[in-house]
Amino acid sequence: MSGATSEPLLRVEELTVTFDGPRGDVDVVRELSFALEPGGSLGIVGESGSGKSMTSLAVLGLLPAGARRTGRISLSGRELTALTERQLRRVRGDRVAMVFQDPLSSLNPYYTVGAQIAEAYRAHRQRATRREARRVAVEAMERVHIDDAARRVDHYPHQFSGGMRQRVMIAMALCTEPDLLIADEPTTALDVTVQAQILRLLTEVRAETGAGLVLITHDLAVVSEMTDEVLVMRQGECVERATAERLFSDPRHPYTRALLDAVPRLDDEVGELRSVDEGGAR
Amino acid sequence: MARFLVSRLAGVVLILLLVCLFTFGVFFVLSPDPAVQICGKNCTPELIERIRDNLGLDEPLLTQFLTFVSGLFAGRTYGVGESATHCAAPCLGYSFQSSQPVWEMITDRLPVSVTVAVGAAVLWLLVGVVGGLVGALKRGTWWDRSAMVVALAGISIPNYVFALLLQYVLVVELEWLPFPQAVPFSEDPTRWFQNYLMPWIVLAFAYASVYARLTRANVIDTLEENYVRTARAKGLPGRLVIRRHALRPALTPVVTIFGMDFAGLLGGALITETVFGLNGVGKMTADSIARNDQPVIMGVTLLAAAFVVVGNVVVDLVYTALDPRVRVRSA
Ligand SMILES: Nc1ncnc2c1ncn2[C@@H]1O[C@H](COP(=O)(O)OP(=O)(O)O)[C@@H](O)[C@H]1O
Ligand SMILES: [Mg+2]
Repeated sequence: MSGATSEPLLRVEELTVTFDGPRGDVDVVRELSFALEPGGSLGIVGESGSGKSMTSLAVLGLLPAGARRTGRISLSGRELTALTERQLRRVRGDRVAMVFQDPLSSLNPYYTVGAQIAEAYRAHRQRATRREARRVAVEAMERVHIDDAARRVDHYPHQFSGGMRQRVMIAMALCTEPDLLIADEPTTALDVTVQAQILRLLTEVRAETGAGLVLITHDLAVVSEMTDEVLVMRQGECVERATAERLFSDPRHPYTRALLDAVPRLDDEVGELRSVDEGGAR
Repeated sequence: MARFLVSRLAGVVLILLLVCLFTFGVFFVLSPDPAVQICGKNCTPELIERIRDNLGLDEPLLTQFLTFVSGLFAGRTYGVGESATHCAAPCLGYSFQSSQPVWEMITDRLPVSVTVAVGAAVLWLLVGVVGGLVGALKRGTWWDRSAMVVALAGISIPNYVFALLLQYVLVVELEWLPFPQAVPFSEDPTRWFQNYLMPWIVLAFAYASVYARLTRANVIDTLEENYVRTARAKGLPGRLVIRRHALRPALTPVVTIFGMDFAGLLGGALITETVFGLNGVGKMTADSIARNDQPVIMGVTLLAAAFVVVGNVVVDLVYTALDPRVRVRSA
C-alpha cells in the first residue's frame, strides 16, 4: 500500500516502444501518457495491433526480445524504469499483477493450477510454507468462485474450461493482494456468455480489494461499463482520452466514432462486429 | 492405468510376432539356400539333402515358422540321432558356422554392447543437453555459435571417419591412449576404461550433436511460450523461470527420443564396435553379414527389433508420467 500521498498509482509519461526491424526501427507505441489514481480504473481500447499489449508489458518491463522502451513509468511515485531487474521482480506479481488474453496458453500445462497460484504467492512471501501457500491458493480460487476449490486446486489447466482457466489466472493475480491489476483482453478468448461472468468477477474483485485496474480491450462496450476513463489508441498513439460517459456522448476523434459504430447494437446478432475499417476511419 | 499397460503389452507381443514373421520371410525365402551355405566346400547332393532334412527346410514355410517360434519358448533340436544338436530355449536359431546357438552368441557379446551404449548415452545426454541449453540461453553469442558449429560437424562427419581420426590422433600421434585391447574390468579397470573411451566419444559425438540442436530449438521455442511470460509476470527469479517453466516442457521430447535412440543402440553399434575391435553384438553382426551366417543375422535383427519395440513402450510410459495432459484426462 502506498500511503496517503497525492501521487497517482500509475503514471506513464511519453512511453515509446520500439522494435528494431529489418527495415529500421518501428515505433509500436509512441509518446503515450496517462495516469491512474489509486483504486481508479482505466480502459485502453483500440483495434488489434494498435500497441495495447506492448503498452501493458512495458509497464512491468516484460517486453519481448527486440523491443526497447523509453519514457517514464512510475508506480506510486517510484520510477520503475530506473529499477534493477531484481527490484522490478519485487513489483511484478506483488504490487502489479497481470491477467493475459489466452488463459490456456498462459498457464503452464505441466503444473497444477494450485502449484501455479502458490508459486505466485511464494515468489513474494519467501517465508510462507508450502502448506500455507496451498491454503492461500484454495482461498484465492474460492474468491473467484471456482466450485470445489479444495479439490480443483490439484487439477491441471487442461481439466478446466476456458472461463474457469481465466478465473484461475485472476486468482493467481489476486493472491498477493496487488494494488494494480492489468488485464490484457481478459475475455477475448472466451465465449460471449462467459465474457460477462469474467467481467462481473473483475468488478467484484475490485470492489473487494480496492485495487486499481487497467483494462485492455478492443471492445468499447466492455470498457464503457467497466472503467471510469477510456484511452483510445490507434497505431501506437493516443487519439482520444476521456471519461467513459463523455466518450460515448461526445466522441471527438473520427476514429473513436468509427469504433463506436463498430459496437454491436442490441438488434445485431450476438458477437457480430462491424469492422472498424468499414466504419470509414481510413 | 492397468488396462493401458495390458493393452500396450498385448500390442508388443503382436508386433514382435509380426517382426518374427517378416524377418523369417525375408531370410528364408529371399536369400540363397541355407543348406548350401552350411554344406560348405566338400559338398555332395546327399549331404545337402540331409541338411535340408535336419533343418526342416522341405517343410512348408508356415510349419518352419511355427517350429521357429516354438523354439523360442521351448527350445528345439536340429537333426536326429548322433548328429542331433540341441538348442535350448529361448532358441533364436543355431549357427552351424560357429557351432553355437545364436542366443548364446548374443548373450556372450551383449555386455560389451550395453557398456558401449550406456557410456555413450551418459556422455551424449550430458554434452548434448548442456550444449543445447547454453546455445539457447546465450543465443547469438560466441558460445552459441561455436557449440552449433561443433554440432554441425558431429552430424555431418561420418562415424568411421571420426573414429579413425580420433584413433590416429589420440593413440598414434599423441599417445594419450594405448592401442585398443579387450581387458575385463576386474583385471585392469584403467585399461578397461581407456578401451571404451574412444567408442563412447565417437558414438556420443554424433548423438550429442543432434541432441544439442534439438534442445536448443526446444528451449528457444518454450521461452517464447505465454506461460513463461506469466511466470515472469509473477515476479519469479529468472533461473526459476527457466528451470521450472522452460526446461521441463523443452526436455520432455528429448526424453522420448532418447529412449528410442538408446534402445536402438542396445542392438549393437556395427561400425564403432568394428573400428575399435570391440567384440560386441555390432561387430558380431558385421562379421556374420560378411560370412552370410543367416541364423545369426536373423537373431540379431529380431533382438534389435525387440529392443526398439520394448523401448517404445517404456518411452510411452515415461512420457505419460511426464506430461499431465496425457496422464490426466479432462474432468
Ligand atoms: N515480437 C515482435 N516483433 C516485432 N513487432 C511486434 C512484435 N510483437 C508485436 N509487434 C508489433 O507491435 C504492434 C503492437 O502490438 P500489440 O501491442 O500486441 O497490439 P495489440 O495488443 O493492440 O493488438 C503490432 O503492430 C505488432 O505487429
Ligand atoms: Mg494484444
